[in-house]
Amino acid sequence: MPFEDYEDTIKKCLRCSLCKWIPQIQIKSQKYASICPSIDYYNYHTYSGGGKIILALSIYLNRLEPSEDLADIVYKCSTCGGCAISCKYLNKLEPLEIIYELRELLVEKGIGPMPKQKLYAEYAMEKHNPYNEPPEQRMDWVSEDIKISKNAKIAYFVGCTSSYRRKEIAKATAKILNKAGVEFQLLGSDEWCCGSPLLRTGMKKEALELMNHNLDLIESLGIEEVVFSCAGCYSTFKAHYPRYRKYNFKVTHTSELFNRLIDEGKLKLKENLKIKVTYHDPCHLGRDSEPYPEWNGKMVEVMPLISIPVPPKPLRRGTNGTYEPPRNVLKKIPGIDFVEMERIKEYSYCCGAGGGVKAQYPDFALFAAKNRIDEAESTGAESLISACPFCATNLKDAIDDSGSKLKFYDLSELLLKSLEDKEE
Amino acid sequence: MKIDKKILNEIQDIVGKENATDNEVILESYTYNWCVEFINVMEGKDPIPFWHKPIAVVLPSTTEEVQKFVKLCNKYHLKFKAQSTGLGPWNQPSEDDVIVVDLRRMNKIVKIDPKNMYCVVEPYVTGAQLQAELLKYGLNCHMPGAGPQVSPLASSTSMCGPGFTSSSTGFSGRNVLGTEWVLPTGEILRLGSLSLKENSDWFHGDGPGPSLRGIMRGFIGTKSGLGIFTRVAIKLFPFPCNIKQLEIKNIIPNYDFDIPNYMQFHLISCKNYETLELAFDRIEKEGITFMCFHTSTYGLHTIFSNTQEELMNRAVASPRIKNPLVVLITANTKREFEYKEKVLKTAIEELKVKDVVATGKYIPPNIAYAEALRSALGMHGFLATGAFQSTHGSMDTSRLCRVLMERNLPLKKEYIDKGLIGNDEGKGNWSTSYEHGHFYHIETPTMYDQTKVESVEGFVEYLDRCNKLDLVEHLGIPFFIEGDKMHDWYGPQCSNYHIWLRKIKTKFDPNFVADSGFYISPEKEENKTT
Ligand SMILES: Cc1cc2nc3c(=O)[nH]c(=O)nc-3n(C[C@H](O)[C@H](O)[C@H](O)COP(=O)(O)OP(=O)(O)OC[C@H]3O[C@@H](n4cnc5c(N)ncnc54)[C@H](O)[C@@H]3O)c2cc1C
Repeated sequence: MPFEDYEDTIKKCLRCSLCKWIPQIQIKSQKYASICPSIDYYNYHTYSGGGKIILALSIYLNRLEPSEDLADIVYKCSTCGGCAISCKYLNKLEPLEIIYELRELLVEKGIGPMPKQKLYAEYAMEKHNPYNEPPEQRMDWVSEDIKISKNAKIAYFVGCTSSYRRKEIAKATAKILNKAGVEFQLLGSDEWCCGSPLLRTGMKKEALELMNHNLDLIESLGIEEVVFSCAGCYSTFKAHYPRYRKYNFKVTHTSELFNRLIDEGKLKLKENLKIKVTYHDPCHLGRDSEPYPEWNGKMVEVMPLISIPVPPKPLRRGTNGTYEPPRNVLKKIPGIDFVEMERIKEYSYCCGAGGGVKAQYPDFALFAAKNRIDEAESTGAESLISACPFCATNLKDAIDDSGSKLKFYDLSELLLKSLEDKEE
Repeated sequence: MKIDKKILNEIQDIVGKENATDNEVILESYTYNWCVEFINVMEGKDPIPFWHKPIAVVLPSTTEEVQKFVKLCNKYHLKFKAQSTGLGPWNQPSEDDVIVVDLRRMNKIVKIDPKNMYCVVEPYVTGAQLQAELLKYGLNCHMPGAGPQVSPLASSTSMCGPGFTSSSTGFSGRNVLGTEWVLPTGEILRLGSLSLKENSDWFHGDGPGPSLRGIMRGFIGTKSGLGIFTRVAIKLFPFPCNIKQLEIKNIIPNYDFDIPNYMQFHLISCKNYETLELAFDRIEKEGITFMCFHTSTYGLHTIFSNTQEELMNRAVASPRIKNPLVVLITANTKREFEYKEKVLKTAIEELKVKDVVATGKYIPPNIAYAEALRSALGMHGFLATGAFQSTHGSMDTSRLCRVLMERNLPLKKEYIDKGLIGNDEGKGNWSTSYEHGHFYHIETPTMYDQTKVESVEGFVEYLDRCNKLDLVEHLGIPFFIEGDKMHDWYGPQCSNYHIWLRKIKTKFDPNFVADSGFYISPEKEENKTT
């Protein structure tokens, strides 16, 4: 039965619209008050987190049937989860989980995912990457000056986007690890898509197949730590995989590792940069990298009409996302003047690429990214830094499209610059 | 009924193709709202939160588009229902075949006039957005208790609008200046100084001539029953303390806030309602408070908690505060602060009441100070059971507030004892002074569980008895005094005002295009008088 796990809460949406905004006490301007790219672009209440909860309840009460019209609405969402953070400031509803459930239901009924997403999924299953690229070319980005250590205990999980589309991120990451003397291995063509694009578009069954392959492989190699430069792969491994299968290696995002390496003195930063930068929290590195808390308690009626979870049920509220490591890296690079945007950390505004949106609704993805570029520009920064290849693609597209003078760098690229001798 | 595609096309010609729709899925999401389940029960239907499905949803972006759309409604005899941010049952079409006008795209702050201390806003500027922009000028606006996510325009023009800062900022209806109003005929009416032939501006709200403000909104607003308001000027206030920005620290849910220098909550424990009444009057006489309201002990724990668990912990671990009066003192300078604090202390001593914050027994969390500045305390009301709604609702003296609380107590307890509504010991009232005791507001929020049939039905029965109590005991007017049924019941008891209200509706809306489920329907043809 769909939405069974959320039966109690889907009946309690107040239609208060808090899901459309960053937490109310965080609002600092009219312009950057919104948290939901979907409602910003499509305007009808239906597109908000609350709107989707209403649709879920309608289906639950047999008022509404899954349909193509429903799919078109449910998939016009980057699953950034901002709505869930704002809602859970006071309430306990799970709009993001409801969106995932709606998508799974649509897939189950043969209506979802949307055509381009379906194609990407087929490629991911066949070629192990959603870009339909030959698996044997996964390591093409590796240049001669990069040292790979075959049996290292650390693996660098490059991810499909950095392997095929944003090779500069993979290169920069590998070079930094080399400079720090961190020995790492690559999984090569045996590295399969982490399943993130499938999981987020409702194709759980297929995503779990990919997951099982990756986990089997990593465990068979005796790897102790897996490092990710892709926020999407990282959150999929860190937050989503453990819901379906536990594993016993450590997962680390490069921002965490870089921060550690700087602190340990393994990376010698030079005074060769002089730029004002701001930082975009990728949803997958930020709020979505928070693991799903486990809870095996029960609801206990403490007073008539008031039931509370015993023991207390922890909510996934974005509290434990990865926010500080990338900021710490930026603050430690000499010559960098780091300024914050208004919407940051757990209430950061999404770039608009996730949840299958970039593939299926590029106009919407670009709209969201332009909104974010505008906010980045408002800080007076010359460069926008992030830590996710997918955000990189979309934000760069928006910079080009809007004629912005902002430069975009992945954190690894900027860090690499500060390790090199060239002045900027 | 489905909307005629030809008409939909005409609407789309006005607002743009993507801004008017009859998509079934979109329409479904506009059938739902908070509290609709008990409206359904009142109508003898199942307690579900879905009501009448609109035939279309329209998203205009300018006054001209609204005007053209309304004229089209007149041409085709179609009804419309406007909504700003859309919280609450009064946004829903009250019958089938209505078009919802979602004003989300009308979201401009048209003007901030810091010198004359007013601003002009469109319907979908939210309270928090406006407040954030006003803070840049050291200014503030009144916000209804619902919180900063709702529309100041909707509250000013179409709802009642008390709020947590009412002691210093009045209520929404008191702060309305010039107004731009698309009448149900499609004509545009500009109120106050906005109607001047030359140099029209927004600074003044009414006259000359008989007051149109009474027709426009009266006590509780017409809830879109008399057209659509497209812009309104709102009176502003100085920001109550000396900060440039609300700087919130830490990550959710552990938000923290450095309490501004001159800001202090006081929680005054009053041994009975009589003392509460005296305390209200005595303290408000001094004109020193930013907030001054009464809530139950339970209500107090609620506004200072962010989770149910925290609420339960507070309820168990906190000292018993009898009939609390919540006072928030704010100031811009040390001298001002010391003066206000001293005056309050003197009043407390004279009244022989206790401030449990001063005695260190109850410490409001730091974040409550930020929420108070943003008027974000109201939504905490949903923490306990997930739903609440008020009964009773008066603007009167502190004496009436007291009498109402006393008379309502046994009635509320009856329903608590039956397990039908949340247990606030019968004392779940919310009362605030307006404009430093100039007058007072009281309502009695009641928790119920919207997922339990008995609870929803129990609440409806209780609401009905509260309404009757208002009448019999002269406790002011019922909370939901809207719609034909209520007006036709209450009007004959009260100068037959409903006959006049109907005449107004008939004149302003000759083709009956503005959905009046939460206002009043026009005169029937046979009863029409000139
Ligand atoms: C926790 C809580 C506390 C509350 N406390 C208070 C309180 O203290 N004081 C108070 O007054 N209310 C209170 N309410 C009710 C609340 O004020 C309203 O729900 C709120 O003002 C609605 O604002 P909105 O932006 O959602 O307006 P809407 O709900 O969109 O509109 C309100 C009404 O006005 C009509 N309307 C909206 N915009 C226009 C327009 N442009 N032209 C014509 N008609 C229009 C709508 O049809 C509707 O009937 C509370 C609600 C909650 C949930």
